[in-house]
Amino acid sequence: MMQSTARQLCIEASWPPAEGEIITFKSSNGFEMNILKEVRWGLVWRDFILEDGRVIPEHRISGGPQRQVWRKISEVSDIEREECEGRLLAMAAVGMDPRKRDESFWAELNQYLAYTYLRFKPSSPEEKQKTAAT
Amino acid sequence: MSGSDEETEELQVWKVLSEAGLVEIRLDEFAARINDVKRMVMVRLHKLLDFNASIQECESAAYLLGTLKELELKLQANAPKPPDS
Repeated sequence: MMQSTARQLCIEASWPPAEGEIITFKSSNGFEMNILKEVRWGLVWRDFILEDGRVIPEHRISGGPQRQVWRKISEVSDIEREECEGRLLAMAAVGMDPRKRDESFWAELNQYLAYTYLRFKPSSPEEKQKTAAT
Repeated sequence: MSGSDEETEELQVWKVLSEAGLVEIRLDEFAARINDVKRMVMVRLHKLLDFNASIQECESAAYLLGTLKELELKLQANAPKPPDS
């Protein structure tokens, strides 16, 4: 237990990996390795951008801390949200398809819907019923 | 808030999003998920208007709704055609 806690602290201290490091992640083809280009915060979680342009959400990266840090909805400013909406609409306008897994439109739309859901989710059973009936 | 409270809250958020199918949206479910979220924002906007919430909050919800609708229409227009058509 002590060892495991110490190991977790060690992992947390060196997380996320630096740009240029090779990371392992889960893809639809199983586990893959690739070079990390950038780590970027989305509206809810962190995305790992690979050298080949794919965008992998943090929860699919191997070797990270057990406890992942997600943002609170209140931390996202209106400006940040509006910028995200602008990018999404621009990607849709040029005919990009979010149904391409691990591409930027897929990644950003995923986070936008997750953010919106968390922000407006029904809190009472009556609200849940009303949403379901709409 | 203690570390363990935060951990519980994060797990709760994960659970809520997983149950709503929004952690990793399946490729064939984008239209359905956009529709689910759109309906939810509509209910909330209705409630905000009923309770005379701040204009800013109403505007924000209305703007979000507009974005979701626009995305939905664009995705419908760009949807792959079935092989028979």
